Amino acid sequence: MTKTLISLAAMAMLAISISVAAQDVAPLNADAAMAAAMSAQASESESRDQFRSLDQDVQTLKKEVLDLNRDLFLLEEELLFPANSQVAFFISMDVGEYFELDSVNIKIDGKEVANYLYTAREADALIRGGVHRVHMANLKTGDHELIAIFTGKGPHVRDYRRGATITFDKGIGAKYLELEITDRVKKQQPEFVIKEWE
Amino acid sequence: MHPGRSLLRCLCLWLALQGPTQAVQAADDGRDPIVVQDPHYGEVLFYFYQEDYFPAIVRLLAAKEQQQLDAHADEGELLLGGMYLSYGHHLEAAEIFERLLANNVAPDIRDRTWFFLAKIWYQRGYLDKSQQALSYIERELPKNLQREALMLESQILIDAGDYDAAIAKLQNWKGKTEWARYAKFNLGVALVRLGRVEEAARLLDDLGNLDPYNDELTSLRDKANLALGYALLQDGQARAAKAPLQRVRLEGPFSNKALLGVGWADAEMDNYQRALVPWMELRSRNLLDSAVQESMLAIPYAMAKLDSISQAADHYLNAIEAFYEETNRLDRTIQHIESGQFFDDFVEDDPLDSAGWYWRLEELPEGLEGRYLFHLLATHEFQEGLKNYRDLSYLYRNLDEWQMNVNVYGNMLETRKEAYALRLPRVQDSLARADLDGMVSRKLEFDSTLNNIEESHDWLALATRSEFEMWGEITGLESTPALRADIPEADEVRDKIRLLKGVLQWNLERDFGDRLWRIRRNLRQSGEALVATQRSRRQIDETMRLEPLRFDELSNRVYGLAPRIEGTKVRVEDALSKQRAFLQSIAVGELQAQKQRLDIYTVQARFALAAIYDIAATVGDASE
Repeated sequence: MTKTLISLAAMAMLAISISVAAQDVAPLNADAAMAAAMSAQASESESRDQFRSLDQDVQTLKKEVLDLNRDLFLLEEELLFPANSQVAFFISMDVGEYFELDSVNIKIDGKEVANYLYTAREADALIRGGVHRVHMANLKTGDHELIAIFTGKGPHVRDYRRGATITFDKGIGAKYLELEITDRVKKQQPEFVIKEWE
Repeated sequence: MHPGRSLLRCLCLWLALQGPTQAVQAADDGRDPIVVQDPHYGEVLFYFYQEDYFPAIVRLLAAKEQQQLDAHADEGELLLGGMYLSYGHHLEAAEIFERLLANNVAPDIRDRTWFFLAKIWYQRGYLDKSQQALSYIERELPKNLQREALMLESQILIDAGDYDAAIAKLQNWKGKTEWARYAKFNLGVALVRLGRVEEAARLLDDLGNLDPYNDELTSLRDKANLALGYALLQDGQARAAKAPLQRVRLEGPFSNKALLGVGWADAEMDNYQRALVPWMELRSRNLLDSAVQESMLAIPYAMAKLDSISQAADHYLNAIEAFYEETNRLDRTIQHIESGQFFDDFVEDDPLDSAGWYWRLEELPEGLEGRYLFHLLATHEFQEGLKNYRDLSYLYRNLDEWQMNVNVYGNMLETRKEAYALRLPRVQDSLARADLDGMVSRKLEFDSTLNNIEESHDWLALATRSEFEMWGEITGLESTPALRADIPEADEVRDKIRLLKGVLQWNLERDFGDRLWRIRRNLRQSGEALVATQRSRRQIDETMRLEPLRFDELSNRVYGLAPRIEGTKVRVEDALSKQRAFLQSIAVGELQAQKQRLDIYTVQARFALAAIYDIAATVGDASE
């Protein structure tokens, strides 16, 4: 063996070092980047083109599947909850200083229809302004009674359980009821309000 | 809904999810809060805040389709763009941004959005689009993003082979931050590629002597020293190459290469004794590293140069054996990767609900493959390819679930149709029997009769049955012939009858007004009930007319969507296998390169060994 090996090794190492740099838009795992750079530049470009072509296919498919999901979502809703009997119940929170939501129990006309336990992630999404559709139902036109029981931690991290009730009139179209948890600053207590949306 | 809710503009929300710095910026953004005015929009936000982008996008698209977002039309559209981007649907996101960012958004937010888009496109290999997005940035970005953007821009130029432009871009970079040092490093590398080693050496040497205050900079210093050392070796400056190579940490990701390089620098200067010192150190290290593999050849090479022929031969034999075993392991790994199961293991343990741009595989599955491929994780191409593979797996599972659901919906619809067909004759029969028009006529007749009674003050007409019978009895008694006799008893009875008749009439006349009011009230209620019944009847008629049409419409949708799902599923499956093949080709290509290197080393070892045997044989012959 001669010194040609040395220059071979030097060239290889130099190529590695350069390619490491090429990966370094952001700091990366250096060892991983080092070995990843073994492939030659020409094949890199070819591979990038191949990736791009595949990525474009994936993008098209994502669009199609999202559109399909939209259509299926609407179909499911119309099929299971036709507009003339549909009632949706939403939970929302405003501020949430005095109440940490654990669960909500919903009764319609004396019958329990939903009992939802919130994860920390969901409760956080509610505090940040998200609105959760906790239950969908089909109800006849006329008067119905809704009772919602909220469980969680109240002021001073004490166990807290409060109810709210409303009698609502279900008309011909879809009806939305929002169960809103707000802070009553004066009393330093949470407040539970039920609002109707048509 | 949510009075006083601090919901900033949707794009700020999206930007806020990009990282802590941006979150602070978004929080400092003093714009007026947006009040959630529609529960459907709030529902989208519920999923968005949980970073469940797929359900959030689906709900937003559905609400848009049903025109339920009128109060949030603009921000809804921008939020959709942001979520598309987070979900890795960057082409669609860009379309929205191009359409909306021009006028609707504050310039700083628009510029930041273009920057993030450029970053995603760079990572996905859309260099032209990335460059274009950077060109849309009009104002100065915040300092940290500005540095990153410049790095991105120069990196794009380096990737495109336009080194001079990259050098020009980076030359004016004066910062002292980490980004500035990375820029310097990249500039040095670009100069080496142009053959301007002396200029590169100044930059890399500067970096190689920096005093690092964190792991990243320590790593960068090692890389700079390594790059400089090998650039100088390549340039024939072995003596100069030693210093930077010796500055690389002894224990670190670049130490093996550095030790190998130091050895070669000494060997170049014919100092094989010294060369053996770093190379012998490499013997105890992991054979997966190419530098360690190469040291297995370098050691006997140096020994041969030092006339330790027999030791050299032993080392060559050891190297051939080690390379053979390693090659076999590589072959087995390649076989396993080509079997197809390997990439499913990547995403198997990962929950499929958080697909999108931010997902990153941090650890490879256990096994031989992980040993060989761990460095691939750091490459954009492999990571982005895996993301696509994972997203496609999610899409496939999603379609699979819908396929089952749609079948159930089809059955449900058929059952409903049957139940409807069964009930319809009974309902029609009942409706035919219910003479609503007759009831209305009767009600009108009652009204008329009552009017007459009122007009004629016919108090007897409103008497109860018992009162009426009593009245009849009394008037009947009046006409009894016996009472016509002129006797005192008859007079007494006639007086009693008159009294009774008078009392009854008095009572009836007294109650007349009250009874008339009650009957009118009952009639009015009957009229209202009749109107409600007529309305219900019209609704029933309308439902009977529309229900078959609704069934048809739903059937068309259910049965139309089923083949759409099937068709898309096939295409997703096809894309999955193409994506898998692409990842396989990267992984197998990487392993083949390692194998090829081992093959070359093996051939070199065999040649060297043959040469040693030749020398030994010649020496033997000569001594005989």
